[in-house]
Amino acid sequence: MKNNWNLLGHEWAVDMLKQHVANDTARHAYLLAGPPGVGKRTLALRFAQALNCRNSSVPGEPCGDEKNCRECRQIPEMKHPDLSIIQSEEDSSTLKVDQIRELLHTLSLKPFSAKYRVSIFLRFHEANANAANALLKTLEEAPAHAILILTADTPEQLLPTIISRCEILRLRPLSASVVEQDLIRQGVNIERARLIAHISGGKPGYARRLLEDDQLLDMREQKLEDLQSLLPATRVERFAYADKLSKDKDGMRRTIHIWLSYWRDVMLRAAQANVNIVNADRNAEIEMLANQLDLSRARKVVSSLEDALGKLDANVNARLLAEVLFLDMPVVNGIQA
Amino acid sequence: MKVTVLQENLARGLSIVSRAVSPRSTLPVLANIMIASDEGRLRLSATNLELGITCWIAARIEEEGSTTVPSRTFSDLVNTLPADQVKLSLDTATQTLNIRGGTSTNDVKCIDAQEFPPLPVPDLKGAVQLNVADFKEMIQQVAFAASTDEARPVLMGVLVQVEKDKLTMAAADGFRLSVRKAVLGSSYGSFNAIIPARALNELARIAHDGEETIAMVVPKGRGQVVFRVKDVELVSQLIDGTFPDYHQIIPRNYKSRTLVSTASLLKACKQAEIFAREGSNVARLNIKSANGDMQPGEVEISATSEETGKNETIVEATVDGSGVLIAFNVKFLREVLEVVKSPNVALETGAANSPGVVRPVGDDNFLHVIMPMHLG
Repeated sequence: MKNNWNLLGHEWAVDMLKQHVANDTARHAYLLAGPPGVGKRTLALRFAQALNCRNSSVPGEPCGDEKNCRECRQIPEMKHPDLSIIQSEEDSSTLKVDQIRELLHTLSLKPFSAKYRVSIFLRFHEANANAANALLKTLEEAPAHAILILTADTPEQLLPTIISRCEILRLRPLSASVVEQDLIRQGVNIERARLIAHISGGKPGYARRLLEDDQLLDMREQKLEDLQSLLPATRVERFAYADKLSKDKDGMRRTIHIWLSYWRDVMLRAAQANVNIVNADRNAEIEMLANQLDLSRARKVVSSLEDALGKLDANVNARLLAEVLFLDMPVVNGIQA
Repeated sequence: MKVTVLQENLARGLSIVSRAVSPRSTLPVLANIMIASDEGRLRLSATNLELGITCWIAARIEEEGSTTVPSRTFSDLVNTLPADQVKLSLDTATQTLNIRGGTSTNDVKCIDAQEFPPLPVPDLKGAVQLNVADFKEMIQQVAFAASTDEARPVLMGVLVQVEKDKLTMAAADGFRLSVRKAVLGSSYGSFNAIIPARALNELARIAHDGEETIAMVVPKGRGQVVFRVKDVELVSQLIDGTFPDYHQIIPRNYKSRTLVSTASLLKACKQAEIFAREGSNVARLNIKSANGDMQPGEVEISATSEETGKNETIVEATVDGSGVLIAFNVKFLREVLEVVKSPNVALETGAANSPGVVRPVGDDNFLHVIMPMHLG
């Protein structure tokens, strides 16, 4: 049977949602949780498409005919009249109560042309408390024609009152080999596909971004080089780098993310865990680092990086934060490859 | 597409449909007006997904076609063109509309008409035929009482009920209720719908008294209502939900019935409002029954404001029953008196804490209920 959901992985979630459409038992609210780039938005859009496609021959399958089916053309483009996408505005990092109120008004009206009014809330963990509370009543008693789909990195970031009103689907990263196979199918050469699949950590959306934006890979390379040269460096050199790093807060956040995934690998190796590491291209150095540091020291670095990320969001002085980070980082000699 | 139209027709059509344009929408195409050739005429449509307006204007069609034009640009441009022929021609490949009027030629970038949400094509057979003047009066008497509070969407609409040859419209916002009945020219199947008050107000604006009838259809299962006036069609999404049973709110009996001149009571209310609006809009009505045969009854309307001062107006009245001291939101009282058409109005009151009913004298088709306020 042809599968028009066209989604990489998450077969169990697709099957379940398909059943919901086919049996007409769609819940009024879903929460799709999973790390960024794992496929939450794509899954939500496909579900909206399956719910509203009018030419579907198999229940639960959208027809996928972009030429003749308005629903199958406009929903993936997020341009359908009965589809609302709610997310933080570009210049702000929170989802505001006004956006929710506007949506509630739309929801009080019957659908424009399709069967359901589908509202997709992207990154709902960015909603401030007022916005989340404004949605509560609707989330509990949604109109019969409304389907609400929330997405968030983890359910724990949301109010417990929100979570308890949704059916939760937790999307996990796919295995790197699945992403790799998919990239190869798209015509990416094997070497590159393997590297990207590993760095993406099994998140197809992130993999696509890495594929499209060469700068992301270059930046990763650069930052890992920096980390290597900093490990044996003196305090003065480290502080000079901290000063440079803290100039651009967004860049600093991304840098810490890259280092975090690297140190996580070191920790895994130090613990002698038999799992695939993310930064497979740097396996040799990671092994070496893991040999020199014990598990508890590697773990300390990981937790200090995580701690720094949290503090960065809480608007702590970036320069002081970077300096503390480097003070905590162990001095390691002789890993230069 | 190649079309020639008269500037004045196009400008009029654009001013009608542009009311439904939503400039700040997540769908860019909704900021546009769709133009399409349609059986020898040019069809203009705009929608904000809640309200859609379509207007047909006379045109000479040389080549069929359709596109969507940015509303602001199009309207502003057409308004500046000389009152003569305007030539519209579309380059389909680049979706650029060339607009020629007088000596000016303009190229406007458009969005493919395929992206525009399809407006329903209603079957006007079996549509309820309404007299324009009567229906506009009904809208005027009811729609103002609808709520503006998003928290209860159902109350933001007007309940429209058709049963055989009877038409009833009702709106309420939790503090007041307006009900207006009318008898239709012929008999129809019964249905009811909650229509957003905004859509009805827009309809009243579009329909001109000279035109004979408004046709109203509620197509089955679409969740929409369609009104057709001559060459304009207005589509509104219906509000989903059940309208509260308002019959329970209408008091069955009263202690006193006060007959007053509509104009003098309205004037007294306007005066009281000048003071009442500073505070919480409270006006006190002291209704005094006749003292002996020679003296008429009266209503004393007063409002007090801490800052502005106070006011008191006495209006002559015929009071049937005992006197009462009651307070109302004077804005609500003024608004209903403004839509009462009869020269005299009856105010039916019970205790100071039970709702008052306003009815035009000699007209059983309209009634208005207002909740009282604390005397304070």
